[in-house]
Amino acid sequence: MIVSINGIGAGIALMIGAPIVGSVLSPLFAKRKTPWVLVADVAQVAVGVPTAYVVNLPIDEGWSVPPVPRTVYVVKLNLNGTVQMITLSNVCTHMQCDVHWDINLEQFLCPCHGGLYSIDGTNIGGPPPWPLFRYQHKLVGNTLYVRNVLTGIGA
Amino acid sequence: MASPSQLPRSPLVAKLTRPVARPLAVTYRWVDERLGVSDLTHQLLYEAVPRRGAWAYSLGSATLIIIVLQIVTGMFLLWTYVPSTTEAWGSLNYIEHHDEFAAIVRGMHLWGAYVLLIIIGLHMIRTFVSGSYKKPRELNWIVGVVLFLLVLGLGITGAMLPWDQAAYWTATVVTHVVDYIPLFGNWIQQILRGGPQMGPETLTRFFAIHIWLLPALLVPLVLLHLVLLRRHGEHGSWVNYEGVQTEPESVRAERMATAEYPYPALPSDPGYAVPVDIDDFFPSQVFKDALVSFGLVLLIFVMAVVVGAPLERAANPAALNYVPTPEWFFLPLDQLLVQFPQAWMIPVGVFVLPGIGTTLLILVPFLDRSPEREPWRRPEVMVPALFAALFLVFEALLAVNRLFNL
Repeated sequence: MIVSINGIGAGIALMIGAPIVGSVLSPLFAKRKTPWVLVADVAQVAVGVPTAYVVNLPIDEGWSVPPVPRTVYVVKLNLNGTVQMITLSNVCTHMQCDVHWDINLEQFLCPCHGGLYSIDGTNIGGPPPWPLFRYQHKLVGNTLYVRNVLTGIGA
Repeated sequence: MASPSQLPRSPLVAKLTRPVARPLAVTYRWVDERLGVSDLTHQLLYEAVPRRGAWAYSLGSATLIIIVLQIVTGMFLLWTYVPSTTEAWGSLNYIEHHDEFAAIVRGMHLWGAYVLLIIIGLHMIRTFVSGSYKKPRELNWIVGVVLFLLVLGLGITGAMLPWDQAAYWTATVVTHVVDYIPLFGNWIQQILRGGPQMGPETLTRFFAIHIWLLPALLVPLVLLHLVLLRRHGEHGSWVNYEGVQTEPESVRAERMATAEYPYPALPSDPGYAVPVDIDDFFPSQVFKDALVSFGLVLLIFVMAVVVGAPLERAANPAALNYVPTPEWFFLPLDQLLVQFPQAWMIPVGVFVLPGIGTTLLILVPFLDRSPEREPWRRPEVMVPALFAALFLVFEALLAVNRLFNL
């Protein structure tokens, strides 16, 4: 009898618990769409001058997919005569605050805990553990597109 | 004590009030016979409490009153607040500009939270200094520490709900801290955020945690805290036990034999089962409790009316010139984020140090096991505790200096 009561109780707990656990864990298994989003015509971006663009990236989560404004830093680097373009996320790799390009320091600076990054996003001071992440990007002519997929160490 | 019906009353008053008083009395008697209200009230109000230092014990009841204030004001904030990333800020902005009374309710909820944290802190310090956590009250200390952690959790989840800039960046940093938990950190972050990034489900999750999950844990634990308090009786402060370690056996036996409910508290160390000097909970202690609670609720009310609750600009994840600052009660932890940089050090500042601190706090009754209650005679716990408290203050000051460039 007592064994049955325990069994019945376990059955009730399982029926209530399993769907709850499943719904709590659902974000881990969700498939997310990451469409290409237009940034701008970047022909005018000067080499060595990080330029901020606000991009409305769709955050594919839950019932609603609001476009969330995010800042993308477009940086053109002169590497031994060839110009390379990178698209840096301005999310600090330490605690995900927004970093900004400090013209006087010529570094990316995080206001929260003082993280510092060089022009190519390398973490050079403060607590950040990794370089700034980079958005996947593509160029169609001079028109830049990014999508909400981050690359880099720790991304 | 005389019941109201036995109080002396002039014949004229008795005659005038009879049409109302008689039906009321009959109704009360009917309910009381079935519900036992009188017995319950009697049990709740009539107990012995230590006499000396009684103002300091009012911190416990003040904590309870402010928790009730938080629950009630929170209920009525839900009349207007919308837990949605697109509408939360707007619903509160409407309150701030078009609904003066709701703005006061919101202000009381905010200042109630601030005062609650301070009063809980003082309540813990009082309990610590007077050694009230010692045998047989170890469990109640542990329940109290858990309650403190729950209130910290309520404070930080509440700070996320306005979805203004301050709320958004608080939520971002807090949900990213868990990413540094070894192995499972990223999963926990995704579960809390509803995805890898901050999004609409992040707010609904923390809303649910703030208004249901944490209060559902808090309320039963508050009741347990009170049940344990009544089971063992108030310990009060060390001044109520002066001389008990050197008193003659006969004096101690006399006190044990004549102890009033709920004393003697067992199993206590010899001498500490009954305070030397006791008073009635009602009305002596209740009067002091009521005055202190009144003062604190007045403070909360005045701050709500005069200062109110701030609402910054709506959350903007693309902001480049916004400087996020943590809630003041998380300043020491925020400073640890700066002091422990780089990949493998971050978990030390985020989990290891706060974890050690919390564990030590829970273990206090098992680390300090001597019967001595007098703070000056137990420097082995008072001195480390003082250093720990000064460390927290020092960290908070460093954080203030860093964030506000003072």
